[in-house]
Amino acid sequence: MNATLFVGERVRLAVEEPQVLAENIARWMRDSEFVRLTESDPAIPLTAKGILKWIEKEQEQQPPKVYVFGIRTLDGDRLIGDVGLGGIHWAHGECTLGIGLGDRQDWGQGYGTDALRLILRYAFTELNLERVSLDVYAYNPRAIRAYEKTGFVHEGRMRNCLQREGQRWDMIFMGILKEEWEKSLASTHGVGQG
Amino acid sequence: MNPSLFQGRLVRLTAEEPQVSAEAVSQWDRDSEYIRLLDSSPARRWSSKKIQGRIENIQDQPQLDLFIFSIRTKAEDRLIGVTSLYGVKWTHGEGFLGIGLGDRQDWGQGYGTDAVRLILRYAFTELNLGRLSLDVYAYNPRAIRVYEKIGFVPEGRMRKCLNREGIRSDIIFMSILKEEWEQTV
Repeated sequence: MNATLFVGERVRLAVEEPQVLAENIARWMRDSEFVRLTESDPAIPLTAKGILKWIEKEQEQQPPKVYVFGIRTLDGDRLIGDVGLGGIHWAHGECTLGIGLGDRQDWGQGYGTDALRLILRYAFTELNLERVSLDVYAYNPRAIRAYEKTGFVHEGRMRNCLQREGQRWDMIFMGILKEEWEKSLASTHGVGQG
Repeated sequence: MNPSLFQGRLVRLTAEEPQVSAEAVSQWDRDSEYIRLLDSSPARRWSSKKIQGRIENIQDQPQLDLFIFSIRTKAEDRLIGVTSLYGVKWTHGEGFLGIGLGDRQDWGQGYGTDAVRLILRYAFTELNLGRLSLDVYAYNPRAIRVYEKIGFVPEGRMRKCLNREGIRSDIIFMSILKEEWEQTV
């Protein structure tokens, strides 16, 4: 057994007080770039109160419809983003992953990759799912690299699906199967053991 | 101008009559195969009253991202299925297509192809979208053939995403861009 599912090399998956998470998400959303990287709907800032209501509603759902964690740095215990699994199809053993790191200063530091490794382990060894899916926008090469590094495979692209600043972009679909994830562990010693 | 956006060769697109549609859907849902071809959620049944309520709800509060039509044969005015544009994203000019023909006797008769042609014309010339997407399950080759015939292009597949009777199947994504559609008509 693993010592803990929730601690990686650089970050941990944390439970957040809804109020704290809501205030942070509202702050991150002031950067329209963050909104555009995580969402294809028109960017619109939300109030912390509005986000709080939405989080509380989600937490009331029993059994949970989504599994969302705060991402906190091991060094300094800073809340830098959130990661979650949603759209779970229990009958098919499948779900969709979402992740966001709010502050630009925390991008490209390896935090996201570490959080991805944690949430994949959670998906495959705690929820016992068979595959994890995600979509990502072609104008987000940083995220695509992190997904490739953690073992996600390119499965397709919705051509010209998005329009940003007059330019059309693909939406990319990726996925990882449980057996692929298990193989990637065997070759890299897995999370928290490197 | 076209004489009517809603008239095809074999079928026409009509408004959903809540009670009539609900009874038909409830009837179609008796065939679990129909549900499995249409939806990846576990097949389950709803009372026709519940279905009717849902249709009425949608009609009372028309949603900007959802357009639903009944499919009726022109020859006998028989209700044979339903088709919709859903998840329309106006800023990106994109939407998803859904279609279902309820009775097995109506499968493979060209009704689906005709209805998809109508809904494509509606999407591109009435809603002025830039592309139309769909997903279809690998165990539904009949539908895949129809989509290919009409000009949809496979764009990818979520590998082994579904489990049916112990066999894992892919979900296939297809789409057609407006300029591709224009070349076909």
